[in-house]
Amino acid sequence: MSNPAAISLESVSKRFGSRTIVHDMTFSVARGEIVGFLGPNGAGKTTTMRMIAGFTTSSSGRITVAGCDMATHNEAAARKIGYLPETPPLYDTLNVFQYLRFVARVKGVPRGEIASELDRVSAACRLEAVTHREIYKLSKGYRQRVGLAQALLGKPEVLLLDEPTAGLDPGQIQETREVIRSFGEQHAVLLSTHILPEVTLICRRVAIINHGRLLAIDSPAALQRASEQTSRVTLRVGAPAADVQAELASMDGVIEVSAHDSADAPGLVDVECQTDNRADMEAAIARAITKRWDLYRLERRQPTLENIFLRYIGQGSPEEASA
Amino acid sequence: MKRVLALYHKELLGYFRSPIAYFVVAVFLVGTGYFFTYNMFLTGSASMDETFRNMGILILTLLPLVSMRLFAGEYNGRTMELLMTLPLKPWELVLGKFLGAVTILLLMTAGTLIDLMPLYLFGNPQTTTIIAGYIGFLLLGMACLAVGQFFSTLTQNQIVAALITVPVLLSFWYVGHLQNFQVSPALRGLFGYLSFSLQYANFVQGLLRSEAVAFYLIVCAIALTLNAGYLQWRR
Repeated sequence: MSNPAAISLESVSKRFGSRTIVHDMTFSVARGEIVGFLGPNGAGKTTTMRMIAGFTTSSSGRITVAGCDMATHNEAAARKIGYLPETPPLYDTLNVFQYLRFVARVKGVPRGEIASELDRVSAACRLEAVTHREIYKLSKGYRQRVGLAQALLGKPEVLLLDEPTAGLDPGQIQETREVIRSFGEQHAVLLSTHILPEVTLICRRVAIINHGRLLAIDSPAALQRASEQTSRVTLRVGAPAADVQAELASMDGVIEVSAHDSADAPGLVDVECQTDNRADMEAAIARAITKRWDLYRLERRQPTLENIFLRYIGQGSPEEASA
Repeated sequence: MKRVLALYHKELLGYFRSPIAYFVVAVFLVGTGYFFTYNMFLTGSASMDETFRNMGILILTLLPLVSMRLFAGEYNGRTMELLMTLPLKPWELVLGKFLGAVTILLLMTAGTLIDLMPLYLFGNPQTTTIIAGYIGFLLLGMACLAVGQFFSTLTQNQIVAALITVPVLLSFWYVGHLQNFQVSPALRGLFGYLSFSLQYANFVQGLLRSEAVAFYLIVCAIALTLNAGYLQWRR
């Protein structure tokens, strides 16, 4: 395998007629990495997934999956990809066993290993109870998990999951995340989702896309650092509001302070300050306050991924976002 | 070939759970039974000519109901995304589906063999003519399925697929009549050659002409190649 990246896109674009759905997208996913694909509806997530999976071709650029160029070695690559589309591709008239056996056979799982392979994915996706039930009788959660089981068949090197936890209940979401996480230890996983906490929980890196453009790709922590130039520190102090205000305003690195009497804790003062991004800011504030007064609470608010996401998609291009 | 067989197997499982397949087989068997009885007992001829001719028209209108779901159903059920991303080449996909549909055709044909019993019990039919007729019938059916399968690739809607296929097949069936209006021998020859019914008439009369066999096989090959080509192009 000459290419170390399991999935790699180089300036990939997709046009339908005069509309460009995906613009010049470049990124890669390494083996053992789970990358989250984040973007609003219609951002181009599904189209990008479909190009990587080989369902559609790219209009320009190059996609390689597990060392195979998708333009020339589509079938060779298909053996190495497990793909769960947005709508699980199920045959309602078959039962779960028949369906999974069909996929396993087409994926080239050797005849003798099909039974154990079906057991493995059924256990991973908790399908044992419905193995012989017709697919049209299954609940939405089960349908989603049969779709996931299908993608896991044949131990693919690359797993592409388009909203894998859509339609699952919280317990099932938890289990599915575990499956994806354990799978991601040895394989490359690209998953798209709307659920932001999911990304922080299981993804090593996040790719944010909007209007078909890749706006940012980095670890959730790095995105958090990069997205805010200033931090917000809130504290609760047992002291007169004016004194605290004066004390903090005089500190180096504090940009803005507002102190007011606490609404729910009589006699205490709630303070909000905007500070610069240095790492020891809350420690410095704590030292300054505790020298003279009692400190009841101190919290530095990190921007949530949700804020970052909204910030990025609210802006047109990555240049603006980093400005 | 393993993959084609896996797909073929899946197709068959699908047919046996589809009400349309049962409907088509039932209507066909009732229809042929009627034609046969009418022929045998009302006109008193111990041959299959007329029955085969009627079976031809019947199959022309019924097989589009079998072929319409082949790809339109996959688009509609969102399973095309699976088939196109599995390690299946377009021709394997086309072949697996076609073989599944041909199997239904074979079952339908086998069902008509029961009509032959009274023919052999009470009459003295020409076995070779009947065999030739059956070969022609199967070839005609295969050509209808291949054409129908191609049109099924073009639309997500099964009804639309059937509604395109039936008139196209009927045109091929009746195109021979245009011969009468042609002055140019080339056109007369062309319309005669393209006619599903004139080619089929050879078999019904007991003639196993290689030209006629080749004609139906060529129609299948062209339709299936277009089908695979379209799938590749559609990516």
